[in-house]
Amino acid sequence: MTAYILRRMLSVVAVVWAMTVLVFCIVHLLPGSVAHMILGEFATDDAIRLLEARLGLNDPLATQYWRWFSGLLRGDFGLSLTMERPAGPIILEALGRSAILAGISIVLVATIGIALGIHSAVNKGSPSDHALTLAQYFFIAVPEFFWCILAILLFAAWLGWLPATGYTPLAEGGLLGWGRHLVLPVATLVLGLIAHVSRMVRSSMLEALDSQYVLAARAKGLAERIVLYRHALPNALLPAITVLAVDVGLLIGGIVVVETVFAYPGLGRMLVYAIDNQDLPLMMGGMIVVTCVYALANLAADILYAVLNPRIRYGGAAT
Amino acid sequence: MLGRRHLPRTLTIGSVVVLLIVVLAALGPWITPYATDAFAVRERLQAPSAAHWFGTDEFGRDVFSRVLAGAHYSLLMGFGATGISLLIGVPLGMLAAFHRGWVEELIMRGVDLLISIPPVLLGLLILATADPGLFKTIIAVGVVYVPIMTRLARAVSLSLLAEDFVDAARARGDGAVRILWREILPNAWPPIIVETSLRITFAILLGSALSFLGLGPQPPASEWGLMIAESRPFIEEAPWIGLAPGLCLCLLLVMVNIVGEGLRDLLDPRLQGRGHG
Amino acid sequence: MADAKTPLLEIRDLSLRYATARGKVQALDKVSLALPRGRAMGLVGESGSGKSSLVLALLGLLGKGAELSSALAQFDGQDLRKTAAALRGRRIGMVFQDPSAVLNPTLTIGYQVAEPLIHHRGLAERAALARAVALLNEVGIARAEAVARSYPHQLSGGMKQRAVIATALACEPELLLLDEPTTALDVTVEAQILDLLDGLRRTRNVAMLLVSHNLGIVDRLCDDLTVLYAGRVVEQGRASEILQTPRHPYTRGLLAALPRADQGRLARLTPIPGGLPDLTRPDPGCNFRARCAFAEEACTAPQALDDKAGCQVRCHRADAVAAAPLPQPEPMAAARKEATGAPLLIAMEMSKSFRLGSAFSLTFSGGLPRLRRATEVVAVDDVSLHVARGEVLGLVGESGCGKSTLGRLVLRLLEANAGRLSLDGQVVPAVPGVEFRRRAQIVFQNPDSSLNPRQRVREALRWPLIRFGLADGAEADREVDRLLELVRLPASYGSRYPHQMSGGEKQRIGIARALASRPDFLVCDEAVSALDVSVQAAVLNLLSDLRERLGLAYLFISHDIGVIAHVATRIAVMYRGAIVEQGSAAQVLAPPYHPYTEALLSAVPLVGAKTRVRVRLMGDASTAPSSTGCRFAPRCPHRIGAICDSLPPPVRTSAQGHRIACHLPVETLAALPPALGRAA
Repeated sequence: MTAYILRRMLSVVAVVWAMTVLVFCIVHLLPGSVAHMILGEFATDDAIRLLEARLGLNDPLATQYWRWFSGLLRGDFGLSLTMERPAGPIILEALGRSAILAGISIVLVATIGIALGIHSAVNKGSPSDHALTLAQYFFIAVPEFFWCILAILLFAAWLGWLPATGYTPLAEGGLLGWGRHLVLPVATLVLGLIAHVSRMVRSSMLEALDSQYVLAARAKGLAERIVLYRHALPNALLPAITVLAVDVGLLIGGIVVVETVFAYPGLGRMLVYAIDNQDLPLMMGGMIVVTCVYALANLAADILYAVLNPRIRYGGAAT
Repeated sequence: MLGRRHLPRTLTIGSVVVLLIVVLAALGPWITPYATDAFAVRERLQAPSAAHWFGTDEFGRDVFSRVLAGAHYSLLMGFGATGISLLIGVPLGMLAAFHRGWVEELIMRGVDLLISIPPVLLGLLILATADPGLFKTIIAVGVVYVPIMTRLARAVSLSLLAEDFVDAARARGDGAVRILWREILPNAWPPIIVETSLRITFAILLGSALSFLGLGPQPPASEWGLMIAESRPFIEEAPWIGLAPGLCLCLLLVMVNIVGEGLRDLLDPRLQGRGHG
Repeated sequence: MADAKTPLLEIRDLSLRYATARGKVQALDKVSLALPRGRAMGLVGESGSGKSSLVLALLGLLGKGAELSSALAQFDGQDLRKTAAALRGRRIGMVFQDPSAVLNPTLTIGYQVAEPLIHHRGLAERAALARAVALLNEVGIARAEAVARSYPHQLSGGMKQRAVIATALACEPELLLLDEPTTALDVTVEAQILDLLDGLRRTRNVAMLLVSHNLGIVDRLCDDLTVLYAGRVVEQGRASEILQTPRHPYTRGLLAALPRADQGRLARLTPIPGGLPDLTRPDPGCNFRARCAFAEEACTAPQALDDKAGCQVRCHRADAVAAAPLPQPEPMAAARKEATGAPLLIAMEMSKSFRLGSAFSLTFSGGLPRLRRATEVVAVDDVSLHVARGEVLGLVGESGCGKSTLGRLVLRLLEANAGRLSLDGQVVPAVPGVEFRRRAQIVFQNPDSSLNPRQRVREALRWPLIRFGLADGAEADREVDRLLELVRLPASYGSRYPHQMSGGEKQRIGIARALASRPDFLVCDEAVSALDVSVQAAVLNLLSDLRERLGLAYLFISHDIGVIAHVATRIAVMYRGAIVEQGSAAQVLAPPYHPYTEALLSAVPLVGAKTRVRVRLMGDASTAPSSTGCRFAPRCPHRIGAICDSLPPPVRTSAQGHRIACHLPVETLAALPPALGRAA
């Protein structure tokens, strides 16, 4: 299994490196000069030449790439063009805030999604299963930003229970002040994902319940509780891990939207800001960091999968 | 196959509603009660009424007209982007299945790379440097889903290539084109159609999210995601500006999703076997 | 406790209906049976007879939507309908068909065996695991402690089935229910499992209800026999008596349709025409009469299960059936005209290996990454064979021996690593021309996979005609009709899709499609293995008729040596990628033969051959040999010594062309006892 994990780690490195090339190429190879993009259409030639010299844009592309890439390796993300300070700390700070949002969300999605999925599968055909299935159709399809608008309207504007936007650091607002800003973003993030995960868990659980080994466990006279949780569930959870990894990708998308709406100063909002303001170092750095996070999440899922699946843990060697 | 089974009710309802939306979207620009860009400062932020079914926005524009005229954006993004991913992904996947070896390695490693970038990020990356617009959003969303279609098409083709009837064709010395056309494609389309129809939901979702972030069609376009984004400053005063396009978008998405799920139940052979003892 | 006279298991008038898309199906119709302590009863029937449903009904494990009714269902005096849940796993053990699907992939073997002990006997996990190891030992697993710690995917099929049996035995049940316990296994492994079950009966005095489609297995293991047809018991009584003198036309039909390795080539098998009746509308009269040679007007009346000479028979013509003679075998020598003429297809030194996984893989040794070429498995290793015009070369071997790969190699459907191929004296290049494609065709095993589900029969049959320029337009349509007639299907079948036909009919279309190009060489790859005995007989008859009419040559691949013995003029025996013996059918089926052939023949369960000598092999075909010696050496019961492991065996060729690859001298091999029980 060590070899398997090492192989996976290597592929994480490969993906992140390929992403640096991709990001760099897209930014530098598309028509229109980078300086033009930064300064806007009406910049004077002098201003452009000045900026090009400052950013080293006249060097060969390989040199520029190496300068940027080797900087990344040292943790140097370059200078934010709009904020005039190093991009690294800005990104790191934003990443920390987003991680809180993502961490809480993924825990909620995993626990609630899996629980609902199991409930549906075990009570297949019951009124609660039908209700959950209908709810899944609905929640998978409704976009996060619409939930955001509804949530702000209901809880912030009409009821006034929670703040509509913003963020209070833990140190300033205490647990309550900090948490109040998290409720709405997290709630809107998880609705669709819970629907997705519970739907997938339901079908993999149904598949497990339909299997010969579950029939055999029943033929052994085992109590239904043991059949469900000892025999069916571990097999049904293996595909759920893969689904959760995919959902981290969707979650990242959701975070970009939700942070923008709730003016939550995380990585997603920073990325949109950087794109809007053509702050290239911030944008490129942010994208690489997000790719890293996603790749690491997938790595974690792969390792968890390997640990839980004897086929990978113990290879195929016949005894 | 389709004829003998009777259609599930949800699929029928979903299809009818989606079809209705498609017709309205196609006619949209010609049947709006008001011009979509007619500013009327005196009528700004009016609540829904008989004259303005969905009220008016901050410039006094009729929200109902704008929603109607904007329907085609979501549909174009959904169907257009899925169409692109289908047109690129399916041939690539089939190519990978037919040419095991370095062609397959090249295609599938590329797919692995693209799939390890979160969808929104890939969309942002593509849109970040270009001037935004409907066409570019469609392409960006399409590219995001190419790897998924490629993987699916490859998996389906590989399993069909392992079928004996394909070996029978090879034993007759049939050419690759004929095998593809007569033996593979007729059997490959049901799973691909199912995936495509489920993809449309996600494509509309992603496209409208990108528009919402300002990376789609630009104002004064009445794309629904963009309309919702623009309504945010007036959310308390005039919630209908955002709710109207939002509810329409939800209706479209839920119905498209129901059609996709319905098609899956109808066409997925793995599910068909269930419950027949 | 009930007294000793009452049977351990007794059911009376058990009926089962369940809902399907087509309506309510009467899966079981008033089935009664009684099984005394310590006895074994076989429950025999073809697919759709309801035999597996009966077992699940006894355990109370039928799914929702099943309507069960019975006059009596008792286990040791207790009402099964109420107590099934408390009895299963404790006093009733269950063994299913496919051990790979039955064992939970995420739990260790030891835990799965120990589980009933933990939950039913209240043993602590440690004690239960120790007991599990003892049980694994008892079912013949060497190194039981290591096996107990392993997961299902690490074991071979035979080992897994032993573990399943150990699980069933854990709480020392009085009754074992066995649902096709050996159907998923190779024949030499099947023989081991049957021996094990037979031994367990004696040592543990456990009663068995054995569900099987294989009459030979039932005869080997059971005292009593119940024959099910379409949900009804048609015959019930002592197994030896029924198999000797079947009194119901269906039982008789099963026996007459069975190709038997020990009787050589029958003049013809006698298939049972038609198919199962529509179970949504149960026939009040005899439901077999549509397929019955003895049917008459009175058969429309309900038939009772009457006592005839100690057996229960549901047929008013039972005496007439019993009196009619069963088809007799032709003397073997007369039946097999030696092939005439020069070889049609010659394959020389063919080899093929497959890559496992992708071409290169990254491995780590001592912490350093290394790019390693994928390991290759040799599927076919330096095999030569030839098939003459009008000849049937039977290729027999167990799963994974490379026989299907070889079949595809000689059709150039797979690219060979090495070897030469010629047809009718013409060399066949790696990418063969149209003429070879026309002349060499293939019939597949799985009728569901061999036809394109979205093509009508007419399209499927027309295309080869056009492809090879044999006919087009109206002429092609006439030719399609002729092909359908050739495989004895009405012309109306032309407009059908595959899903509108039965398995046997699909197989006929597969044959017609192969014949469309008027080939003279046909590879039949397990062409009848997926079919029920009664249908299989019809397809085998068809194939042998076609051979005589059209002068076809077959390479007939099968794992079933009974089928091979029936159809083949010459036989090649394959083991782990190589042919270990090759010769005329008469030569291969009698000594001298290769030790593997001997074991293979000896393992075949035969009806009415209980007393023959049994040769049993250790392990299974995955037991790896040394790289230089005889590939069969690790399992060989006649192993000489180190020479078998170090040197490749010499091929001993007799004057009549009988070839055996073995270190043992021919005289020793000739002295082996006949494995089929009588001098064949």
